[in-house]
Amino acid sequence: MKIIFKIFAIVTFAIFLKPDVVQAQCNAEALATSCISNLQDGFTFLKTFKVDGQSGAKKKVEYSYVFSKDTQYYLSICCKNEGTDGIVVTMYDSKRHIVSTNFNNGKFYAGLIYPCNATGIYYITFTFNNSQAHCGGSVLGFKR
Amino acid sequence: MICYFFKNFAFNIFVLIKQYFMKFIAIISLALVIFSCESKKPSADQEFLDSLQSLTADAPALSEEVISDIIQQIPSPLEISYLLKDAGTRYDAGMLNHPDNVSKYNSNFKKALNLGIFGTDLGYANIYEQNQDALSFLNVIKSLADDLNIGQFFDFGTIKRLASNSRNLDSLLMITTQNFNQINSYLQNNRRSNLSVLILTGGWLEALHITCQVAKQNPENEDLIEKIGEQKIILDNIKLLLEFYVKDPYIADLHEQMLEMDRIFSQIEIIHTYKEPSFEEVNGILVVKDNSSTSINITQENVDDIRQIVLEIRKKIIS
Repeated sequence: MKIIFKIFAIVTFAIFLKPDVVQAQCNAEALATSCISNLQDGFTFLKTFKVDGQSGAKKKVEYSYVFSKDTQYYLSICCKNEGTDGIVVTMYDSKRHIVSTNFNNGKFYAGLIYPCNATGIYYITFTFNNSQAHCGGSVLGFKR
Repeated sequence: MICYFFKNFAFNIFVLIKQYFMKFIAIISLALVIFSCESKKPSADQEFLDSLQSLTADAPALSEEVISDIIQQIPSPLEISYLLKDAGTRYDAGMLNHPDNVSKYNSNFKKALNLGIFGTDLGYANIYEQNQDALSFLNVIKSLADDLNIGQFFDFGTIKRLASNSRNLDSLLMITTQNFNQINSYLQNNRRSNLSVLILTGGWLEALHITCQVAKQNPENEDLIEKIGEQKIILDNIKLLLEFYVKDPYIADLHEQMLEMDRIFSQIEIIHTYKEPSFEEVNGILVVKDNSSTSINITQENVDDIRQIVLEIRKKIIS
């Protein structure tokens, strides 16, 4: 335990001493929390998702959720500035068929409504298309 | 000139040392805070692990990741509560767990399961704007959460204030959902996912119980019957989650009961048909048209059997 503590303290110390690393850190949790206010009227909050591409080292961030038939889901993407900073969300069904995306006809949408017609497990996959920060947050809400 | 250079150099060195010293102090403070938090944890964790005889501490890291992935798939019981309200069914407190039962829950196993059950009951009462009942559920949730050392995640003051006025429903649902989400991520980060699994299992079972009872009173409502059939998908996840902890005798028993329930659900067929979606932009938001569909083959006999087994499992948990 003490060894782990010492290693942690040294690593943390080293990280704090490198200003460039500090600037590159992604506070995806804060972005996801701030995204809650983007929920459309009438939608009830369900979950937030952290989207941390680790400065480009991570190509894909994936979550999964059981969506229900006859329920509308609203998914919003937030990043440090306006727009989506190249963050693409693609939703797949359990057999990996695409059911939804926020990137359509060359345009990124910060919000999408998905009226689910088939109950099942869905994958919510975030990827990065010419993203600067590779960092964002997302919120999921629902209404019947 | 030389004197100026040395003065300037010394000043820069002083500034640099000062900056690093401040950072060092900050890090030491941070480390002390973390260490002081760490030092409190073992007793809580140990207490839970002892009572549950769980093997989470020895579980491989990969398993924890898999568990987290499965846990986050489980839908919120609020979705079912909204379905019930939209179906025009009346609020029925008689179906819910009674807050007085809380004194019966002496093991952490039962406390965790019933925390999930009362969490679903709270959401159900909130959606039907039954403020008095919601406050009663809130009190028992606080008591159970404190006993499990996770009470710090509930902002009870704010929740009570919001629950006293039905106009605050959206904020109330948001804050309670957020609190439960925070508990889940805290437990998973601290390798106490077994507790998280029990809370989710309790919450899911209660939502299924309420749906079964409402379906009994509204046998013509096909949406409710379909919703019961869809729970086959969630049960698969619950079974998988409990399976990780079957070395614990309490969880092994619960897992066995879920397997019995699964024998009924295995008779239900869910047929999924995929069709490519289409898209349109409405007020700057992309609206998807989902062209896929599911159909569920479930009989009235299946529904009756599920209702019965849910009643039996729930009875063991709440009494």
